[in-house]
Amino acid sequence: MAVKETIEAKQQIASPQLTGAEIREKIRLFPWWTVGLIGVFVLTAHLILTRPSYQDAFNFIRAGVGVTVQTTLVAYGIALVLGLFTGLGRISHNIVIQNLGTLYVELIRGIPMLVLIFFIAFVGVPAGVGLLNQIGEWFSQIGLQLIAQPLIQLENSSVPMTTRAIIALSVTYGAFQAEIFRAGIQSIGRGQMEAARAQGMTYWQAMRFIILPQAIRNVLPALGNDFVSMLKDSSLVSVLAVRDITQIAKLYAGRSFQYQEAYVTLAVLYLMMTVVLSALVKWIERRVRQDERNA
Amino acid sequence: MNATHEMIQVINLRKKFGRLVALDGVNLTVRRGQVIVIIGPSGSGKSTLLRCINHLETPTEGEIWIERQKITGNQRQLNAIRSQIGMVFQHFNLYPHLTVLENVTLAQRIVRKIPKSQAEAIAMHHLERVGIADKARFYPAQLSGGQQQRVAIARALAQDPKIMLFDEPTSALDPEMIKEVLDVMLNLAEEGITMVVVTHEMGFARAAADEVIFMDYGKIIERATPEVFFSQPAHERSRAFLSQILSH
Repeated sequence: MAVKETIEAKQQIASPQLTGAEIREKIRLFPWWTVGLIGVFVLTAHLILTRPSYQDAFNFIRAGVGVTVQTTLVAYGIALVLGLFTGLGRISHNIVIQNLGTLYVELIRGIPMLVLIFFIAFVGVPAGVGLLNQIGEWFSQIGLQLIAQPLIQLENSSVPMTTRAIIALSVTYGAFQAEIFRAGIQSIGRGQMEAARAQGMTYWQAMRFIILPQAIRNVLPALGNDFVSMLKDSSLVSVLAVRDITQIAKLYAGRSFQYQEAYVTLAVLYLMMTVVLSALVKWIERRVRQDERNA
Repeated sequence: MNATHEMIQVINLRKKFGRLVALDGVNLTVRRGQVIVIIGPSGSGKSTLLRCINHLETPTEGEIWIERQKITGNQRQLNAIRSQIGMVFQHFNLYPHLTVLENVTLAQRIVRKIPKSQAEAIAMHHLERVGIADKARFYPAQLSGGQQQRVAIARALAQDPKIMLFDEPTSALDPEMIKEVLDVMLNLAEEGITMVVVTHEMGFARAAADEVIFMDYGKIIERATPEVFFSQPAHERSRAFLSQILSH
């Protein structure tokens, strides 16, 4: 309401005829870079529509969009949960939980993402499968065959690369998001937790109803930016031969020798997805700020 | 002392923050319906004492009993006991993401499991009591400081508390808003609610307190009725404090 009124007031003040200074100001503030961006999209669209070689590349590579989007979405969802609980663990008064959380975050932050993806896919997952087999054996010994059998029968080779890629991405991003959640929770004043506890709420009730709703609202833009980053970093899973757009573009280029067509298309496809997502994040950010103003 | 009338009992309470001794052997009994006003210079331990009573600070030594229930070392009962103690903070500490009505109903619903409609009826009753029922659908940030503090009082009252604790409730307010909050507190005092108030408002102490407690260096220096305390303080330090704040 208030915002609308101010805008209307401004419009009334502004005379219909713009002065030279006002025009210069408008030119200075105009987001010219978006023109450049749109130019890139239009040019690429033109190439795809007019050149058969680009058309072939585009038709071939776009088949990977589904895998890229799906991998990102699933991994992001898991990373959110992992990040939230790790973030809560990092501020826990329990020193074991707090140190485990910190160890996880520091381990991940200290290793390049590409190396982590190799490590989790070829070392972490086999070790995890081994562990599950072992647990299955124990269950089998105490007679719980129903739980034991599926665990024992689990084989390393039966875990598809897509699953490994999703595990790798979510474990990596879980650590980043833990830091976002931790910062968000710590940005809420002490008085909020005190007021809630003074009313007889438990720690977890206070977290759930008082702290987290405010914290998550504060970190929504950061979480959104992480989603955009993750979409881009999902290209790294192509090293596991997961058929995302990067992998497919690589295959296409290698097979047809049309490197330019393949990689122009690939880059522009990523650019389109991230531009749309970034706009969405900015929109959410604006909405949150507006809510705060009205509140 | 008649045990049935004791609402709060503080026995030999000590609180240290690192090397700093905030409370140094405090003994205090508050009977049902009493209004106790705690005054003293900043850093004298008044707020720490108040915050120890509902265990927002963990005492280093000593015991606190609320109506014959020991609160110190009683982690299991702590939330239940706290839900019977209303606390009003210097900075209101309203929940900014919730409306006024939600602020007052939330704890009722999740701590005491009162159904929504009933909790809202209780909330509206208390919001009317503090004269702010017309702002029930507003968010805290849309209210003035005085209005926010009255909502905070309603939020505490909605817990149906046995005791109300006030931690410098007017210190963060603009001067023109102090009166509206003190008026509400005076009404509560007249209604016979057990209150412990840390404040610098000597007018309120005179008008509402059954007893005034003067603290300094983590100790209770003097305890007297307001008539006696303000006209003929017994201790040198009380006199020095009063002459400093009343000379303007």
